Amino acid sequence: MADAATTDVVTLEILDRWVRLGAARLDAEAERLTALDSAIGDADHGTNMHRGFAAIVAKLDAAPPQTLAEFFKAVGMTLVSKVGGASGSLYGTLFLDMGKNAPDGTSMSAAEWNRVLAAGVAGVVGRGHAEPGDKTMIDAFTPAVAALDDAVAHGASLADAAAAAATAAERGSADTEPLVARKGRASYLGERSVGHIDPGSASTALLLRAFADALAGEAA
Amino acid sequence: MIGFVIVSHSEPLAHAAVDLAMQMVHDEAPPVRVASGADGGFGTDAAAIADAVDALADSDGVVIITDLGSAVISSELALELRTSTVPVRISDGPFVEGITAGMVRAATGGSLDDVAHEAAAALAAKRPQGSPASPGAPTSDVLAPDGASTPDASIDAVLRNPMGLHSRPASLVVKAAGGFDADVAIADVTTGAGPASAASLIGLLTLGVSEGDIVRITATGAEAAAAVDAIRRLVDDGFGELAAASA
Repeated sequence: MADAATTDVVTLEILDRWVRLGAARLDAEAERLTALDSAIGDADHGTNMHRGFAAIVAKLDAAPPQTLAEFFKAVGMTLVSKVGGASGSLYGTLFLDMGKNAPDGTSMSAAEWNRVLAAGVAGVVGRGHAEPGDKTMIDAFTPAVAALDDAVAHGASLADAAAAAATAAERGSADTEPLVARKGRASYLGERSVGHIDPGSASTALLLRAFADALAGEAA
Repeated sequence: MIGFVIVSHSEPLAHAAVDLAMQMVHDEAPPVRVASGADGGFGTDAAAIADAVDALADSDGVVIITDLGSAVISSELALELRTSTVPVRISDGPFVEGITAGMVRAATGGSLDDVAHEAAAALAAKRPQGSPASPGAPTSDVLAPDGASTPDASIDAVLRNPMGLHSRPASLVVKAAGGFDADVAIADVTTGAGPASAASLIGLLTLGVSEGDIVRITATGAEAAAAVDAIRRLVDDGFGELAAASA
């Protein structure tokens, strides 16, 4: 087995490790995410995301995908049906659109990963019509893709690029705290949404950190 | 006939709204599918919405009516996931009023455009009578006061039922008007409201006709006279709501 920490390609094996690590961390962090959501939403984001990723793990166990496109489609459709609400459709769209833009086969380069993730995020923007600053997952995704773009353009290793993207997402999520929510259920709260981190941006940061860690060899 | 997919975060809410709307449907009911909840809890499931649309593939078109915001996101995603090609509109109308007005219009043979418009305009019935429409709100159900053409038939009648032209009698007018080859309109001569198309439940409700008001029933088309006569009889009869008062 190749040393995962020095891999230059995103393989099916890494993707599999990623969503399993994501599922484990969503399990551990479900209460924190739900607490964030109870402040400005309907108090179910942690539970919903954990349920969705647990279902993904079960699906991967039952029928391991054979290509990148199959992997992303399986993940996306599971999230659509199991998560519910905007998060299910938006994360579902992310993965479905990543699948539509994934290269043939079972692995992709850093530049391809960059393009695939950017296409998925573009799909989320198109679906939810959120802009940066609206206090949504886009506030984590946008800086993450920008950091990934920048790292790949400067020839960074895949591991470094993924870590930079995760750090940018975490910063972007933290920066949602002073914002007024302009999309989703939290927007009904108006000014009262100020002072709370957006739960969708927090789960985005969690997932992108899990990707960087899975790439570095960490497993659930 | 046009079918409906009701998208709600809550299954009981969806079924209750459909049951309520069915009170106003006096003809063959349009086909309805409910897509609600996600994995047994509150939420929406784009795959379930896509299945519901596909189940109505044989209808002339499908109007999707949604409750809270993410129901729209899930419905848009469902249009990418579905396998049928039946034309679909996602309505931005209010949930309860949109389902009611849309289903009444569909039951009387409205096209996809008619039904989608009726559902989208359904909020108008909630505005205080006589208040100006909100900016950008559809107002086309209230026809221009002096139409370019004179009607083929016209008659004035006094509205007799104590509750005025509320949703039940208005739905009877929509049903009656839908049975004739004629474009029928109703105006309130007493208040100057309207005319409103008799094909539109919401248009009729926005007239705010009260007991004692004189209504003008006009129609153009091959069966204009018969249509006007049928609706006049409904009005004269108090829409069947006088029996209890006089008994």
